[in-house]
Amino acid sequence: MITTLADLLPLMPLLITTATTIVAMIVIGIRRNYAVTAGITIAGLLIASLVAVSMISTTNSQVTPLLIVDQYSLFFTVLICVTAMLITIFSFPYLANLDDSKEEYYLLLSIATIGAIVMVSSNHFVSTILGLETLSMSLYGMVAYPVHSKLADKFPLEASVKYLVLSAAASGILLFGMALIYAQTGTLEFSSIVNVTKETPGLGTGFAIVALIMVFIGIAFKLSLAPFHMWTPDVYEGSPLPATTYLATIGKSAMFVVLLRFIVTTEALSFDSIILVISLVAIVSILAGNLLALLQNSLKRILAYSSIAHMGYLLIALVASYYVQGAISVEAVTFYLFAYMVMSIGAFGVISIVSSSEKEFDDIDDYQGLFWRNPWLALVFTGMLLSLAGIPLTVGFIGKFYLFFAGVEAGLWTLLVVLILGSGIGLYYYLRVVYRMLLSPKGGERFKSGGSQYMGAHGVLAFVLALLLILGVYPTPLVSIIETISLNIL
Amino acid sequence: MLDLIWLLPTYPLLGFLALVLTSGRLPKKIVGIIGAGSVGLSFLTAAIIATQFLAGGEDYFVKEVWAWMAVGSFTPGFSFYLDGLSLVMMLVITGVGFLIHLYATGYMADDPSFSRFFSYMNLFVAAMLMLVLGDNLVLLYLGWEGVGLCSYLLIGFWYTNPANGYAARKAFIVTRVGDTSMAIGLFLLFAQLGTLNIQDVLHAAEAEWAVGSGLAIAAALLLLGGAVGKSAQLPLQTWLPDAMAGPTPISALIHAATMVTAGVYLIARTHILFEIAPSVQLLVAWIGLITVLMAGFIALTQSDIKRILAFSTMSQIGYMFLALGVGAWSAAIFHLMTHAFFKALLFLASGTVILSVHHEQNIFKMGGLRKKLPVSFASFLIGSLALTAFPFTSGYFSKDEILLAALEMDGPGTILWVGGVLGAFLTGIYTFRLFFIVFFGENKGHVPENEVGGIHMNGPLFLLMILSLVGGFIAIPVESVFSHGEVHEEHHVSTLIHGFMIAVPLIGIVISYLFFYAKIFSIEKLMSIPISQTLHRFWFSGWGMDWLYDRLIVFPFLWLSKINKADLIDSFYAFIVKFARASNAMIVRTQTGYIRWYALSIAAGLVVLISIGVLL
Repeated sequence: MITTLADLLPLMPLLITTATTIVAMIVIGIRRNYAVTAGITIAGLLIASLVAVSMISTTNSQVTPLLIVDQYSLFFTVLICVTAMLITIFSFPYLANLDDSKEEYYLLLSIATIGAIVMVSSNHFVSTILGLETLSMSLYGMVAYPVHSKLADKFPLEASVKYLVLSAAASGILLFGMALIYAQTGTLEFSSIVNVTKETPGLGTGFAIVALIMVFIGIAFKLSLAPFHMWTPDVYEGSPLPATTYLATIGKSAMFVVLLRFIVTTEALSFDSIILVISLVAIVSILAGNLLALLQNSLKRILAYSSIAHMGYLLIALVASYYVQGAISVEAVTFYLFAYMVMSIGAFGVISIVSSSEKEFDDIDDYQGLFWRNPWLALVFTGMLLSLAGIPLTVGFIGKFYLFFAGVEAGLWTLLVVLILGSGIGLYYYLRVVYRMLLSPKGGERFKSGGSQYMGAHGVLAFVLALLLILGVYPTPLVSIIETISLNIL
Repeated sequence: MLDLIWLLPTYPLLGFLALVLTSGRLPKKIVGIIGAGSVGLSFLTAAIIATQFLAGGEDYFVKEVWAWMAVGSFTPGFSFYLDGLSLVMMLVITGVGFLIHLYATGYMADDPSFSRFFSYMNLFVAAMLMLVLGDNLVLLYLGWEGVGLCSYLLIGFWYTNPANGYAARKAFIVTRVGDTSMAIGLFLLFAQLGTLNIQDVLHAAEAEWAVGSGLAIAAALLLLGGAVGKSAQLPLQTWLPDAMAGPTPISALIHAATMVTAGVYLIARTHILFEIAPSVQLLVAWIGLITVLMAGFIALTQSDIKRILAFSTMSQIGYMFLALGVGAWSAAIFHLMTHAFFKALLFLASGTVILSVHHEQNIFKMGGLRKKLPVSFASFLIGSLALTAFPFTSGYFSKDEILLAALEMDGPGTILWVGGVLGAFLTGIYTFRLFFIVFFGENKGHVPENEVGGIHMNGPLFLLMILSLVGGFIAIPVESVFSHGEVHEEHHVSTLIHGFMIAVPLIGIVISYLFFYAKIFSIEKLMSIPISQTLHRFWFSGWGMDWLYDRLIVFPFLWLSKINKADLIDSFYAFIVKFARASNAMIVRTQTGYIRWYALSIAAGLVVLISIGVLL
């Protein structure tokens, strides 16, 4: 097949993001200017997301065997570009006072975004690995970015090395699984792998199961599902906050989209033992994540542990996709990923806006009495935490309701009981933070989050808070979009 | 314009938000403008909508504002339903509500929590409008619980006095018994009929359930439970007199004109359900009648001005229940409206009296206030006449319709009628007992210097006086709502009976006159008979109902909770807490921070999961 220039048109968002990186690199080479570099990144990501939006209703094509550009991948392309842009806005004040070269951080950020876009458009193992490694490599750099800063009080290097070593091991497992699949089917394309589950040729079902489980485990590591979750709190805590946010939102959702496409397309769930394994991982993740967060005092660690639980919740809808006719469980996954990104940007955003590369306010004690010191930030944070806990009138409630509904339709009662238990435990540590914010202030430093360079970040907080509430009360528009795009997955 | 119906609850809701968010930092003048103005705007909108609706000639109008979420047949949405019934309700709520708000700007002027007061009032109006305009059971329930919450907050408005907090809790808990029953009823309707839309529910019930079938009876009974709780009818009536602990405008708005009539609205709204459960409908009539009489006897003995009015409210709502029970749906709603006028008038006037005599509420410490308090005197005169159904006042028309409908009913109709007429007789006595004792005779306590008032307090009183007088000539447009199954023929009764019905309350008034004004009969002599002393004590305590409930429910409950101090059920939750903490303590040990340990867990997980996958 000869690829013409016109065939590459659907890749415009990807190409624009790449061009953004190159332009930023050239500009840095000519003359270092922090604001200009950040501005180029924001503009590039904005253009990429706008182009993706304009394409969403018309484009549906397979570009080379590696990439599929359909409504579903474009939806997530938009989501990823916008999220990356918002994180850039948060990064700007955070890194402003770093006594080191600051500009290259934005290169890493946009390269990671390229990787994420490739992942959500991937229906082939080669593109999965390419995207995943592009994303991961950049993230190692972002995590370790303030390493030369004398004032870096956490341990970015330690976090980065932990992440690098363990992630490499997980990639190894993932690749091994892919190799086994290739050995049996002779293909790396998701849609052709269906044969592996049909017991036709090859080395029998046991072989296929081992292969699928290894692929799942490789992905489970990146999603920080238990028992492959242990790196999460250490890496979250050690990274600079914008990098943590990136890891928690884009890193997780891009990986989950791959998992969803892989599991649904290959019909891997037609093996009972795969369902069993995924269900077990879901149960362990929900319980471990919530229990670990219970008495935690570091907000970054709380959010890290809670992300383990949230990924576990998502697995329930994934399992449900096998039992339920129609797209309801794919919709549930998509909605929840969206909601999770909104809540995470907001929650990390509040911590990030009061922190900087010199000093991070991460301890729950720092936030005591925030309601009286800074009601605006306390309001946003409360909204995000309540949404993470799944309280009605927030987008998190609708998302959890969606998951629950998919689970009920599928009759996954055991998993639903665990979901309820987990949510109950979760409520405790989310409300604990809200409670501390309501207590009377106990000394504590006044956060410096005013001034012109924080304007954008506050705007982003207002934006995500509005999204959180509006979609919590009136989710219909988003739901109808998700209903349409989810049909692409089936 | 009809499309703008969603503005009705929105204005007071915005008022509430504005007042809450500024939390008392606004000057009182602006608080008053926001508080009363938002309800005034609602009333204007309601009036315009009502005119257009009536001119349009449609039977009903539905406005879907938005759907919250749609999951299967569970599709709760914000949609409003307007027909003759909700039209009357919304006009009463916003109209009378606006007058009371206006009055309250004067009455509460010196209260330090002025802003908090109006924020609750606005929230109440918003919730009440939601209740009567809601198109589905969820909105109805939202409004139902919303008004319950506001009632609680406002009864305990002066929370520094523990007695008020107690009264608020009592009201909340007693009505909660009814609310629970109603919630179960709504669940039953949704589970059986598969829809939340009120009209669909009713039509489905009519189509699917036979007359007198078990499900119909159960559903109607459960809803009735909610209605008697909210409307303070037997056996959940004990909270209303205590609810008078709130500021007087609250008593007028919530505990006389609007919220307590929500039960009447509920039954009228779901009247189809009661028609297919005739036994429950008859029960409604009996509950109404017994409450009329019980409350009437209690009111004869009370000495607190507001409590007398509270018992009279209970008794008048009893009449509405009686009307509902005999199938005179529109008569019930008619009486609801006229009662809102004259009872709001009486309560507001009593507010003026209470303020003028420096917060004295005992009628035996008043007396002779006629000259000093002319506006209150006029208000009380007109209000009392309307309450006792004096010919051609508003109360006369509505009560007349109810009694005639009862008389025409087959079976127990005559007994119900006799009871109703007896109730009217009692009304005449207790109403004018209050009137004569407060406004005539010697002053026995505080002599007021001058009447508290001003245009924003007296204006509403004058308007309500007019409404109480001529409100009976308003024709309420509810025929199409109750078109089927209502007793519709003209009332054919002999002049004799009609004359009798007019005469009975007048006789009551005359008796009151002889006892309390002319003092030809002596109340002291009457009280010296042992039996009447006993009766007096018995009635004064509200037929000993509080005593009975204390013995039957409260004390056993307290006893149970005492012996179960280390709560058995709690220990289960305590176990969960302990378990969670223990699990946490155990599992945090895995977070060592050592990379080799993390790698080990990955490897172990890999081995275990593959083994499970392959072996099982």
